[in-house]
Amino acid sequence: MLAEAFKFPEINAILRWQDIFTSFNKIALIAVAAAVIGIVVFLLAGNKDAKVAPKGVRNLAETTVEFIEDGIVMQTMGKSGLGWTPFLLSLFIFIYLCNVPGIIPLLQMPATARMAIPMFLALLVWVVYNGVGLKHQGVKYITNTIWPPGVPVALKPLVGVIEFISNIIVRPFSLTVRLFANMLAGHILLVTFALLTQSLITAETQQLLLKPMAILPFFMLVFLTAFEVLVAFLQAYIFTILTAVYIGGAAHPEH
Amino acid sequence: MEAFSYLAALTGDEEKAAQAASSAGFAYGLAAIGPGIGIGYLVGKSVEAMARQPEAAGMVRTTMFLGIAFTEALALIGFVVFILIGL
Amino acid sequence: MLTAVNHLQGLATRLAAEGVEVGEGPGPIVPELKELYWGAGSFIVFALLMRFYLFPRLKQGMDARYAGIRADHEQADAERASARAEVADYEAQLAAVKAEAAAKVDAARQALEAERQEQVKALNAQLAERRAAAQAETDAAKAAVRDQIHAAVADVAGRAGELATGRRPDATVVARVVNEVMAR
Repeated sequence: MLAEAFKFPEINAILRWQDIFTSFNKIALIAVAAAVIGIVVFLLAGNKDAKVAPKGVRNLAETTVEFIEDGIVMQTMGKSGLGWTPFLLSLFIFIYLCNVPGIIPLLQMPATARMAIPMFLALLVWVVYNGVGLKHQGVKYITNTIWPPGVPVALKPLVGVIEFISNIIVRPFSLTVRLFANMLAGHILLVTFALLTQSLITAETQQLLLKPMAILPFFMLVFLTAFEVLVAFLQAYIFTILTAVYIGGAAHPEH
Repeated sequence: MEAFSYLAALTGDEEKAAQAASSAGFAYGLAAIGPGIGIGYLVGKSVEAMARQPEAAGMVRTTMFLGIAFTEALALIGFVVFILIGL
Repeated sequence: MLTAVNHLQGLATRLAAEGVEVGEGPGPIVPELKELYWGAGSFIVFALLMRFYLFPRLKQGMDARYAGIRADHEQADAERASARAEVADYEAQLAAVKAEAAAKVDAARQALEAERQEQVKALNAQLAERRAAAQAETDAAKAAVRDQIHAAVADVAGRAGELATGRRPDATVVARVVNEVMAR
């Protein structure tokens, strides 16, 4: 029976990787590669002549910068938030380059499908936006966060608890889980359909009809790979825009 | 139903694992209902707004992605629970 | 293609499954410290480099170019404005010249008209004079003919009366009668 031939591997077997050398595995490799690629692209872009119309690497870098400025900063923080562009830019590029290996042959593992990187980034964002809030509003930031302006006194205890949980605890948690779970789900789907294809081809059965049917999960695999391209971009975008929203909200509470 | 009769024949660790697997499936299935409806409604309304006011499409799209991100989080928490208890 | 993908996936799973510490280890949602260190380290290096070196350099170039483009635009606008002013100037000159030409043409036309009127008046006067002379001539001729006719008629009437009565009637009476009859 096919159901017995097809055995899904242990979850750790598709997520954890051998060390390439001591405490340096594929995830670390992808993270370092993402940073290095980002640095190299912007280094090359900066070396090019700025006077002529941008093309090649410089065009890529400038398009990304303008996407962050016009699509994220101006939409959420306005002109006063333009100083955050480099942080958001590096966040976006790093997350995108960590997501994209999920569909690159041979790598086929999004670094963000492991808990470590999303959790670190979300905690960093948490520290940053709380720091911005304390810097801009002082101690009032805490009361403003817990009690939004215009809450009746009778409701203050209840609203305080809810707002505290949602602003201080749920935000970093949902940032982490959103990125991590999306990439993990995509990775598991890809593995599932790849294994289905494989097991249909290698199934030891008398019915030769079974083997050509492997084309069906293979088509699904191709479709999901294309879908993952979109997801990789969208998750990087959403993480960045939520960061921008949180920082903007902490800096200017009236918005 | 066959799956459940199969469950009854199991004992000990096997039964535990089988129960975990099926409850994980339930957990994810339930967690997917609300966000599914929510995202559908949200995107539908956004498309309506964009069709009515194409000049505001950029702003609507940004807000739509934000809303999707918040709505989707629930489904994703369900997925994490599924991973935690199922696999 | 199919077999290649399968091969790769099979290789990947085998590679993972054969690992010594791969099978066991923390659950999928527990962060691993080594990944945390590497990820955090590379991101912090990247973000700091971006903040203090890469981004400012790129942005400087972009701003310089945009400023250049804006300056070019402004220059183009200024040139367009000056060209427009020149066109307006030229049009004003053209209008002045045209007005002058029109005035000259008008003056010439008026002079011509006055001259024509004068000539027409002179001709009319000449014509009237000639007509009056001809009229006088005709009247004189008519009167002469009438006198001749009167004389002839009076003569004939006097002769007829002399033949009828045997005596010559008074010439003044005959002339009066003839005049009365002819006037009737």
